[in-house]
Amino acid sequence: MSNTLHIKAFGMVAEKIGLSDLSMDHSGDSAELLAALLVKFPELKTLKFTLAINKKIVNGNQEVPENAEIALLPPFSGG
Amino acid sequence: MEKERKPKNIFVQGPISPEKIAQSIANHSSKTDIGGHSIFLGQVRADAKAEGNVIAIDYTAYEEMALEKAFEIREAIFAKYPLTCMHIYHSLGEVKVGELCLFVFTSSKHRKAAMDACDELVERIKAELPVWGKEILDTQGHVWKLNT
Repeated sequence: MSNTLHIKAFGMVAEKIGLSDLSMDHSGDSAELLAALLVKFPELKTLKFTLAINKKIVNGNQEVPENAEIALLPPFSGG
Repeated sequence: MEKERKPKNIFVQGPISPEKIAQSIANHSSKTDIGGHSIFLGQVRADAKAEGNVIAIDYTAYEEMALEKAFEIREAIFAKYPLTCMHIYHSLGEVKVGELCLFVFTSSKHRKAAMDACDELVERIKAELPVWGKEILDTQGHVWKLNT
């Protein structure tokens, strides 16, 4: 089953991978998605970031809904 | 006075002007059940980094998530403290050193609730909102801001 995820990257993560928006075909849970992202962007291995699925931060391993919006979030530094 | 309970935009393009803050204070003069306001203002500091001196911060955000999160925090703070009013403004884009990037404003009948709520709001905003500050240096480079 094809499933296109919409991936957004922010801050230092966007800078390091050179992209802030991309699409990726993927099936599987969030741990598998993270592994696939590390293969596609080896630069991510040296960065601290968390994943969000549909604007909620991922805690542990969870399902990735079809056509979800995924975000790669480096540590927050607002204020 | 009914509390505002709908998600609203907290983002301001560029620095927050002192005039906006003065106007916001003035807007509360008709709410005569208020006995105390508490205000926090974040200002961009000219930090000296190993790579150069900070001259500005360029803020970006995952806006949709930040607004959802700000709403969630807002609801939690309203539930925890007896507040009359709460306002949050955060800059996006470039804010130069000495300019204001965060304005948090709480009001209540008595000072303690306003002060405690303001303090907790600022801590939660800095820890939980997906906002990033890129510190622009006088050496033309940049470093990513880290919150302590």
